[in-house]
Amino acid sequence: MSKRVQDEKPPMLPEAEAWHQEEIQAQNVRYRGIVEEIDALEPEREKWIEEFLSIIQTKGFNMTGDTRRKIGKQEIAEKPDRPDAMRVIW
Amino acid sequence: MTRPHIEPFVELNEDFKPFKIPGFVGANFKVLSLDTDNGACTLKVRLDGGFKRKPGISYSDQEIFVLEGGMTIDGQYVCEGHYIFLPAGMAMGAIDVPQGCEALFMFNDGEPTFEESDTHHPLTLKEGYVSLNSYEDAPWSGGSIVSPSVATGCMIKLLHFDPMTEAMTFLYCMTPQFMQDNISYHDCAEESYHIWGSSWMLQFGDLPTGGYFWRPPYINHGSFRSKLGCIAIGRTDSKLHNYFHFNPWTNPDENQSRAAAFLYRQRPQMFRWVNAGGHNHPHGPQGQAEYVAPTAPDDFENPDYVDDAQVKMLGEQRYTFREMDEYHDCYGMKDAHAEAHANGHAHSHGGDDDHSH
Repeated sequence: MSKRVQDEKPPMLPEAEAWHQEEIQAQNVRYRGIVEEIDALEPEREKWIEEFLSIIQTKGFNMTGDTRRKIGKQEIAEKPDRPDAMRVIW
Repeated sequence: MTRPHIEPFVELNEDFKPFKIPGFVGANFKVLSLDTDNGACTLKVRLDGGFKRKPGISYSDQEIFVLEGGMTIDGQYVCEGHYIFLPAGMAMGAIDVPQGCEALFMFNDGEPTFEESDTHHPLTLKEGYVSLNSYEDAPWSGGSIVSPSVATGCMIKLLHFDPMTEAMTFLYCMTPQFMQDNISYHDCAEESYHIWGSSWMLQFGDLPTGGYFWRPPYINHGSFRSKLGCIAIGRTDSKLHNYFHFNPWTNPDENQSRAAAFLYRQRPQMFRWVNAGGHNHPHGPQGQAEYVAPTAPDDFENPDYVDDAQVKMLGEQRYTFREMDEYHDCYGMKDAHAEAHANGHAHSHGGDDDHSH
């Protein structure tokens, strides 16, 4: 088994540990802010989804590159009946 | 937990903070994303005019992309657009910042570390070093480096490629009026910082200049637009495959299952081997299968590949998609669902009788 530089890393310095913990908290706050901001976009997202579904039935869905296939109405999924159907941040 | 899903995050609205970690004192930072386990991170760093630092090494692979201004590293002046991949243990020359510089600093294996040294660590993989000005030293290519491919108008410059994991760092741009009508997800985490310009995605809306995301695997993104164009730096942490589809409501579990179905259909022997080979099903007292990481298979060409820092890191990651549920109050995402899927997957034991241990 060969060693790598990363295997010889010394333990996290106290200053780095403090930094890590502080920034984890800040990141959690940032995450909550992002969730609120993106959740507030839901009414617009519903419209964007409607437009997308219309485009793929008329202009087509990009299968690869510029190759498009028109999607038939019967292939379009129904919006599922679950509370996180519109969730986009995970 | 690894890094949470940060998307979109416009860092221009945030203040810089001063570093207190030895080796970085005097520099200022903003965290764009941070691994909550090991401290690996992507930072925007501001080095004010007059900042100096002696030569030294880091215990993490490091990537640097200069956004504005410039600095001298080991006597060489690097300015906006310059990209460096510095393998762990490789001595970075002395830094001297004459008039100020802002750059992205990415530490891939752990927290920012610095130890003064003007010699390389004996184990460093010097061959991995990359240094180029991405604006001037490399041409644009079409985006079709993978198949299925992006639509015409998304171009890339590949800056770094890891042959073990196929992780990539690249500059990409979208030309004005770029459009791509599909929904995409990947097996890899994807990251991007908008150097200039704006792009739009169905799920998240506009991402302007200074906009950033870190997106874990199997999360839907797209369709895509860019009205006036954009240029961005992008990274993946492993192989990028485009799973395109047109169902806007799938969740990451469904996306991952579909990806596994691709493997089942397209590489059935591999799928069966991965499922059965070296993977026991010990049952705990509750009758739940405990997660056992599969044994890494032998590779006669790279017998020590399991020791590669990136391979190890990826092998230890485990995304559950439910870790942040407590922040989603409006969905009523409380514990019932998370508890029912404590192992991160729904599974049956229909085949338990037809295999031996």
